[in-house]
Amino acid sequence: MPSDTASEHAVATGTQSAASGGQFAVAEAASPAIQTVELTLRASTAYQRPDLAVRARQALQRLHNPRVRVLVVGEFKQGKSMLVNALVNAPICPIDDDISTSVPTVVRYAHHPSATLVRGAWGGGDGDEQEERYQVPIEQLASHVSEADNPGNHAGLKYAEAGIPRDILADGLELVDTPGVGGLGSVQGSATMAMLPSADAILLVSDAAAEYSRPELEFLRQAKLVCPNVACVLTKIDLYPRWQWIAELDRRHLRTAGIDAELLAASSMLRLHASRARDNALNAESGFPALVTFLRERVLGQSERMANRAAANDVVTITAQLASGMRAELAACEDPERAAQLVAELEQARQRADGLRDRGSRWAQALNDGIADLNVDVDYDLRDRMRVIVREAEKALDGADPKKIWDQFAAQLEEQAAAAVAANFLWATKRARWLAAQVGDLFEEDGAQALPRLRTARAAAPEVIAEIERPDGEKFGVGQQAFVGLRGGYMGTLMAGMASTFMGLSLLNPFSAAAGLLMGGKMVRDESRRLLDRRRMEAKNTVRRYVDDVSFQVGKQSRDMLRYVQRDLRDHFMARSDELVCSAQESLIAAERALQAGEAERQQRIADLYAELERIAALEHEGQALALAAE
Amino acid sequence: MTSASDLSSIARRLLQRTMEAYRGSPETQRWLRGELDRIDAPLQVAIAGKVKAGKSTLLNAMVGEMVAATDAAECTTLVTWYQYGNVPRLTLYPKLGAPRQLPASRRDGRLIIDLGATPAADVERLVVDWPSRQLKATTLIDTPGIGSLTTENSERSAAFLLLEDEPTAADAVVYLMRHLHATDFEFLEAFSEYGAASASGLNAIAVLSRADEIGGGRLDALMSARRVAARYRSDPRLVGLCQDVVPVAGLLAQAGRSLRQDEFQAFSTLAGAPRDDTEAMLLSVGRFLHSGPREDALLSLGRRRVLLDRFGLFGVRLATTLVRQGSISPDLLAAELVRRSGLDELRSSLASRFTERRDLLKARSALLTVDFVLRREPSPQGRSLLAEVERILAGSHEFAEMRLLAAIRSSAVTFPDAYRAEAERLLGANGTVPGRRLGLVDDTDPGTLRAVALEALERWRRLSENPVFPRAFADAARTVVRSCEGILHALPGR
Repeated sequence: MPSDTASEHAVATGTQSAASGGQFAVAEAASPAIQTVELTLRASTAYQRPDLAVRARQALQRLHNPRVRVLVVGEFKQGKSMLVNALVNAPICPIDDDISTSVPTVVRYAHHPSATLVRGAWGGGDGDEQEERYQVPIEQLASHVSEADNPGNHAGLKYAEAGIPRDILADGLELVDTPGVGGLGSVQGSATMAMLPSADAILLVSDAAAEYSRPELEFLRQAKLVCPNVACVLTKIDLYPRWQWIAELDRRHLRTAGIDAELLAASSMLRLHASRARDNALNAESGFPALVTFLRERVLGQSERMANRAAANDVVTITAQLASGMRAELAACEDPERAAQLVAELEQARQRADGLRDRGSRWAQALNDGIADLNVDVDYDLRDRMRVIVREAEKALDGADPKKIWDQFAAQLEEQAAAAVAANFLWATKRARWLAAQVGDLFEEDGAQALPRLRTARAAAPEVIAEIERPDGEKFGVGQQAFVGLRGGYMGTLMAGMASTFMGLSLLNPFSAAAGLLMGGKMVRDESRRLLDRRRMEAKNTVRRYVDDVSFQVGKQSRDMLRYVQRDLRDHFMARSDELVCSAQESLIAAERALQAGEAERQQRIADLYAELERIAALEHEGQALALAAE
Repeated sequence: MTSASDLSSIARRLLQRTMEAYRGSPETQRWLRGELDRIDAPLQVAIAGKVKAGKSTLLNAMVGEMVAATDAAECTTLVTWYQYGNVPRLTLYPKLGAPRQLPASRRDGRLIIDLGATPAADVERLVVDWPSRQLKATTLIDTPGIGSLTTENSERSAAFLLLEDEPTAADAVVYLMRHLHATDFEFLEAFSEYGAASASGLNAIAVLSRADEIGGGRLDALMSARRVAARYRSDPRLVGLCQDVVPVAGLLAQAGRSLRQDEFQAFSTLAGAPRDDTEAMLLSVGRFLHSGPREDALLSLGRRRVLLDRFGLFGVRLATTLVRQGSISPDLLAAELVRRSGLDELRSSLASRFTERRDLLKARSALLTVDFVLRREPSPQGRSLLAEVERILAGSHEFAEMRLLAAIRSSAVTFPDAYRAEAERLLGANGTVPGRRLGLVDDTDPGTLRAVALEALERWRRLSENPVFPRAFADAARTVVRSCEGILHALPGR
């Protein structure tokens, strides 16, 4: 049981750290969020709730290691790689008048420059994908990720990582230079689409030579559906006299298409020139200051707000659980006559909390049913798309000699399959997110019942500072409304925890089956001396085999993705359930203990408990303030 | 062997016979008569490409005057024909009703087109008659960009160039692209593959356009462009789709062909200023247009804007450098700009690949039309006419050459590497005059031509009779033998 001294230490100003929180010593300029979560961690430790301490520590970890992924996408030769280089002011990504980037490159912060190549390998009989990583000198990175030395990504790299010590990346910003999209329907375009869900923000790069084309706008529309933070960058403004007019036209196109995205004009050439010449005026002309501000304020800022909201949510729920035991003891001390009823109520609360751990609880059922449905739907969707492709391919083969059309035909088939896979994957991701939100809602509804609502004579509540002035001057009542604001934060936590699930898979390469298509083409051609019908047969078999291979690999990846989602959601809500059960148990024990105490001792406890509850309430209030600030 | 003029008369006779067969159908008759006229008309070459590929700029450069409107935004919205005429004249052909004249007025040397009250959607095409020498041999057709956000514009292009069920009015196409894109492939495939006589790219030349903008407009941009074009030329996916890939800086060519004295003066002023100052000014369009007030003394901001619009930043950089290096007269500068733009290469490619093959391309268009008419409106004589079409396609050596070239390019016939290049050349891949086919310089004397041709004939005859090679190769070699015979036949003084 928490003694006065322990709680004193825990909730005090932070001069002394609780034993297990020592490793997270508050840094000099730690953000308010980090400070608040630090205090919450100490309180959890001091009140001997290791389960809540784990949660606080996770929250702290996320605050300390933010990761904000910005995808730089666009048609090829628009200046994506150069934009990334100009942003970090280092020649990381390959620049060439002709040759394009062939492998996505993640550029992030590191104390010492480093570069890693990541190759996806299909190992084992179950088709699980493993990653092979190997280091290369950073100067060599460009040659590994460009079409010149790695044409069509024959080396089979999944992606490359580069780490460099740059201020702009220090807050967790990750820039991903993607291979150019040679038209939206192309294989590469589909691969880029599949990467979209992993992004916190997307920069669509197009040069000032021309206004948007239809594929570009279509791409923007799609991107906007999966990632709300999309900005357009108009590059090479040093070269095109009418870039302002093009920018204006593009803005009009965006408006007409109903796409809410900012358009920023920039010149990487001027930026690089400016940093070589240390010319501030030129840097301003390059348009990069606005771009950097956008990344810092809109992208990093928004991510930070999301992270803070998630942290605030953790603080508020942890403090609520810490307070629940004290409230129960307080209620028992204040009104021993109603003790039996109180114990009964607490017992009920505990049973409700216990029920959350059941397989039959609403959230668990929704999760299991939802994943099962999703598995079927995603599979059906994929099969349906593939069936259409096969049908059309067979029609095309019936109308021509496969030997003559094979190369074009195979390329087209590959494009169609890639587009289908990307569409299927995006759809599956969206549905999985929606399911996670559903499950979260159900858990919140039922979980709220599991924490007993107890009345005490005085509310040790945040009435002390009932109103907080919001930046815009609007008064905002703390209480119910603050919790409304937290709901998004709750999903934020969830997504932050699951980000790795989505991220790892979204860099998938569903196109390794294409090798089969090439082999098939060889066979079709070798059939040259036989009859046309035989060639058609062979070609159709090849198509079916290819589509089967793609379906198999993609189906496996989808099932894995859903399995990870299910596992992560289950672990997450199970941990929350365990916390609630533990809190209910604590409340019960505290109440029973209060009943056994003598009158004098009870009065003393009442005074102590009010004091402690006030401290907890102050912490809870900090959490709410954090949530409001992050609105 | 049928000679080229024979092919024209064969096509003409076929069209006449078809007209007789369709005497009862005035609509079709009118159409076939149009085709008949077309056989003797200049080659009709469409300029196509995605939005903002620089089609109108290139057209202006080829005509040598600002006849097509150009703008930073998408601006060609109608299919517009530019044909030779003694006096400038502008005719609007509506979808319904009779054609009518539009006033042809010019402002700042540019042709102004005012449709009046007619909405663009009701216009089938505009025809501009223009007294330009360049248009005598070739009628150029400007088309709206493919992939336009204004769907109707793109559809107008597609409807003109890639008719689903009707042969196109273009005998050949110059396809402009900034980079090679999936949509570019699709277009070239569709244009090349139409109908009974698949041309496998013989009717298309790809232009790597806006070549001056490669690499951010550095002075060596055009070198880079040549490298890129060379890579595309050897891209196996493009080989069967177009004959050549030529890099062209259209803006440079257009400005070079119409360089004015005051512009030359402006470049001299820039070249005369201290080099560091000029370089700082030419760092970006922003610098060039908005440098401080002091700079106005060198060259007024208004004139700078005009220079930039006409030449582009690359053009201004290049012209200034050339003047500094000693291109001392406007004529020399203009010639140098045009030379560097790649326009000459495009012209010579057009001459050897389209103009020399004019009769074949025209005959192909005529055959496609007859084929289309016969299938759309079957008639009693139809069967024998269809057979005639098949016979001409199979029997004319020109079509046989075309098919074999296509087959070699798409690797449908495998040629040992040692023979492949020579076979393509003899079949006329680099031009159809004897010198080109034999790989000799243009002014080689007839005696040498004859000797080389005889040697080639002998070699290929032996190859065609060598039992070691598979039958497909022997057949192909026989076609090459006939080409050699044709070369000898065409040489003077037999």
